[in-house]
Amino acid sequence: MTELTPQATSFDYTDAPVQVRDDIVEAHERAWDRLRRPGNWWTGAERIEIAAEIRNALECDLCRERKAALSPFSVTGKHHHTAQHIDEVAVDAVHRIVTDATRLTEDWVRKIAAGGLTDGHYVELLGVVVAVLSIDELHRGLGIDLPSLPEPAPGDPTQERPAGLASGTAWVPMLTLRGVSKGPNADLFRGLPVAPNVIAAMSLVPDAVRQLEDLSHAYYVPTLQVANPSYQGRALDRSQIELIAGRVSALNECFY
Amino acid sequence: MLRVSIQVQGNDVDLSAIRDGTAKATESGIAHADLLLAFAEALVAHDEPELAKLRGPLIETVGPDGFLEAATVAANFQRMVRIADSTGIPQDAPVMALAGDVIDDLGLRSFPSANNTPAVGLLQRILGRVFRPFAARLMTAAANRMAAGSK
Repeated sequence: MTELTPQATSFDYTDAPVQVRDDIVEAHERAWDRLRRPGNWWTGAERIEIAAEIRNALECDLCRERKAALSPFSVTGKHHHTAQHIDEVAVDAVHRIVTDATRLTEDWVRKIAAGGLTDGHYVELLGVVVAVLSIDELHRGLGIDLPSLPEPAPGDPTQERPAGLASGTAWVPMLTLRGVSKGPNADLFRGLPVAPNVIAAMSLVPDAVRQLEDLSHAYYVPTLQVANPSYQGRALDRSQIELIAGRVSALNECFY
Repeated sequence: MLRVSIQVQGNDVDLSAIRDGTAKATESGIAHADLLLAFAEALVAHDEPELAKLRGPLIETVGPDGFLEAATVAANFQRMVRIADSTGIPQDAPVMALAGDVIDDLGLRSFPSANNTPAVGLLQRILGRVFRPFAARLMTAAANRMAAGSK
């Protein structure tokens, strides 16, 4: 394991309009620590460039044009980006996931794989995008500055592909409950009688699922309570929480 | 989940606010739905002037903790939708069986990502109809059992 130098915290909530719970701040700090370390397929520097592209995508004219087009694949051009370590295929993937995810297709995922962005690279990239994007969104909701991205930690990606993957459910292989029942990834679906597809979706990169569960626990409800309509561990009641969840999903035209 | 969480409270279910937003807030029967929906919509649109207008009233109405949760839940689903749509996962079969009618009523099949989920079969529809009245109780019991088992 590479020795890491401690990072100054990037999270300061003194300007937030309300007090931010400690468990949320701690989840952010863990997310930033994961972000800067090498993953399975990307180095720390590459992962941080992926994160930077999330913010660039929101200022990108090409993305705006594509969003307005009848087909997002009919508009070509150059993205507004600052990446130096990741290539154009990866930049394009980040921008599309951020700005127009509902119109992604299996054919596109196959094409980018042929262009060098393997399924492992793609899923890890997605894991970085969704973690950082959700943290950014919370900061926008609170009306405070986005946190500065961390400095990358040195080291190489593990290039580890978990055992027990199954294909056919989604566009990328996923672990199944049976596939992880024993072994290093048994914690991913711990306690769940079935593995919901949205939890399993990124299991090709198990740490992306751990990151998802960590943030969801702080932002939404604990994983084991997701299916409990009577859960009362929050200030908002469950129907208020689900109203927001449903409306955000509908505005994004997400069927899931 | 929205439907069963409303059922748990013993209220009538009208989910049109999911599709129509603030225009149908009152029909939802959910406390402070108008402000919660407006905040979620402004966040998704990155409409900072609107968010700035809404923060004070929302904090006053649902309290500081409730406001924080409104922001975290909206942020959380900005993440979840992209996971689903970027991996092409289908909706989980039990959800489809229980919520097939809601999906039709709200016109969610018009979303591009609906192509990733096959239509509900006849047997699933029948099972969904049979289990729907008991869904809230069954889900609560199952979740409590899972939580107890994890301790």
